[in-house]
Amino acid sequence: MFFRLYRYSLMRTMRQKITIFWNLIFPILLGTLFQIAFGNYTDKTIMFHQIPVAYVEGEEADENFTMLLDTLETENELIQVQSVEEKEAERLLEEDKVKGIFYNGRILETGGKREEKEKVKTEEEGLEIFLTVKEEGISQSILSIILEQFERTRATFTRIGKENPAAIQEAAKVLEEECQYLKEGSVMDTPANSVTDYFYSLIAMHCLMGATIGLMSATEFKANLNPLGTRRVVTGTRRFGILLPDLAANITIQFFYMLFFIGYLTYVLDVHLGDRWGLLLLTVLMGDILGIVLGFLIGVLGKLRYNVKEGLCIMIMMVSSFFSGLMMAGMLRVVETYAPFFNRINPAALIVRALYSLNIYDTYDQYIRCMGNMLLLILILGGGAFGLVRRERYASI
Amino acid sequence: MGKIIEIENLVKRYKDLIALDHLNLSVEEGEIFGLLGPNGSGKTTAINCILALLYFDKGSVKVMGKEMQPDNYEIKKQIGVVLQNVAVFEELTVQENIDYFCGLYIQDKKLRKQYVEEAIVFSGLEDFRKFYPKKLSGGLLRRLNIACGIAHKPRLIIMDEPTVAVDPQSRNRILEGIQKLNQEGATIIYTSHYMEEVEQICSRIAILDKGHCVALGTKEELKSMIKTGEKIHIEISELQEIQMEEIRELHHVYQVDYREGMLEIRCSGGKHNLVHILDYLGRQEISFGRVYAELPTLNDVFLEITGKELRDSAEKTL
Repeated sequence: MFFRLYRYSLMRTMRQKITIFWNLIFPILLGTLFQIAFGNYTDKTIMFHQIPVAYVEGEEADENFTMLLDTLETENELIQVQSVEEKEAERLLEEDKVKGIFYNGRILETGGKREEKEKVKTEEEGLEIFLTVKEEGISQSILSIILEQFERTRATFTRIGKENPAAIQEAAKVLEEECQYLKEGSVMDTPANSVTDYFYSLIAMHCLMGATIGLMSATEFKANLNPLGTRRVVTGTRRFGILLPDLAANITIQFFYMLFFIGYLTYVLDVHLGDRWGLLLLTVLMGDILGIVLGFLIGVLGKLRYNVKEGLCIMIMMVSSFFSGLMMAGMLRVVETYAPFFNRINPAALIVRALYSLNIYDTYDQYIRCMGNMLLLILILGGGAFGLVRRERYASI
Repeated sequence: MGKIIEIENLVKRYKDLIALDHLNLSVEEGEIFGLLGPNGSGKTTAINCILALLYFDKGSVKVMGKEMQPDNYEIKKQIGVVLQNVAVFEELTVQENIDYFCGLYIQDKKLRKQYVEEAIVFSGLEDFRKFYPKKLSGGLLRRLNIACGIAHKPRLIIMDEPTVAVDPQSRNRILEGIQKLNQEGATIIYTSHYMEEVEQICSRIAILDKGHCVALGTKEELKSMIKTGEKIHIEISELQEIQMEEIRELHHVYQVDYREGMLEIRCSGGKHNLVHILDYLGRQEISFGRVYAELPTLNDVFLEITGKELRDSAEKTL
């Protein structure tokens, strides 16, 4: 019976024009627009290279920051540091030979750009490390994030040292783990391309669009939402016997649409999504399942009208995609800085991070963590949804 | 034949509204049981409780001798449901829809194919088997709805107002089909607010009002419960109050109404009532036009028991 119901479910979903548009055509249109908007940018500007930065060291310089820059230059190949005097640094910045200047410690020379900044910063925040940039840009943002991250870690340790010195060892251990997490992904040959991140986010959004199909299935299974639901739950077939073929068909269709989409990105738009195809497809399959289960759960929750639930699905999909960087590059890092837990439960962020780690790192630790989190979310959402519909009776229909 | 459904003291509340108020009913196997009542009388709520779709506050519902539960699949396999709202897949053709729903009960491919074919013929959809539901007329859609509910040849068929908004031709076909299903051995519970349908096909009828069963029995038993034995209508252009009083004094006459040139006289049984009335009109030299007499309907039963019409004027226009 499973395969017969599965076949009918496939036929139904494939004949839904609205699903064909939103889950197949729309992502392709969006992907094409992305490529039109970013195509040249990708090819010529954003191909990743080490960011040149000037470094000016003064008195009472923080050695930890010096070490960090050294690590980022030699091990991570993220930046290219030139240690120079203040005047020289300013000249390099003026001539666009560096993207920014890091000042570490008290600089004795006067008249430079830093003097004014130092005054403000030291009085207000008591900081001794600064970044000066000439203009806004991705490289400048990365330099800024490096500084922010350093300051955040240092502030945390200072606070722990004051409030609970005994815990500092534990905090050091956590930091060490974080460092390990950065180190383990020694960058592969694949160029880190921030525009590819947009396409990862687009793939994640496509996965979450499965929520609308899951929602439809839920609606057709709830007697208090749809007469079809009534007809199906009063039959002599177990509820899961009806539900599972539906969900399996939904996953099949969504995955098929996804294959088409990825094929289009790769072969038509020439977007490089990496070489680990097996794992990439496994990731999007998990993402599709997560999207469908999410939609199904929303569908079986409460007695809200279909349109309201559909709106809820779209809202969750858009918010999730936004925080995964669909509309703004670097959003994932911002969230990681201020609300790292959200990145662990945000479906789109998990998909993007998994795809990113496949493409960038040559180890699988982050990938496994993301996939594990996705699996956990699927189990929690799916378990909740199945629990709600099992032996369900209604207060009113 | 035993009882196929037993409902005892069933109480169902929607917040402050009591939808079913200590409802007691039993349906014998092999009968066409009519649930008659106006909108909001509790018919559909009772059906949903029988199908274990709704929680209820008190009482018990037994189907085929067992307490009905959502996971009582052995019993559910023997039930067919035709819902008030059409419940078919828009994306599947007529034949695919029937096959899908039949397949939820019948696993054997060969048998299912035979049943699907029989359901198509039964509902007169032979020429429309490849049509999608949106291409069907309202009547054909209702027939498809019925075919999906009965294709698996259930022992008990529950039909909740299956003829709402259906043209007379389709309605007659549906009613004939229901009788045929019953002759083939199915027990049928038929809910409607169309008294003519219920009168036409049901062997026993329960009249519901405000969640109560206000009357139960065969149509003859129900009609015998009321005072009205005969209704006589006479077209008269003019009638004085004193003449109405004199008619009211005639033997067996208990109610006289005169509105817009039509005299309506209700008699409580007895013979030759029409002769006596016409005799009086002749003696009074009152000229009259069309004359006709009719036996009481279920609407009269409902009117006498509850003090209101079974159907409001809006429903009459349907």
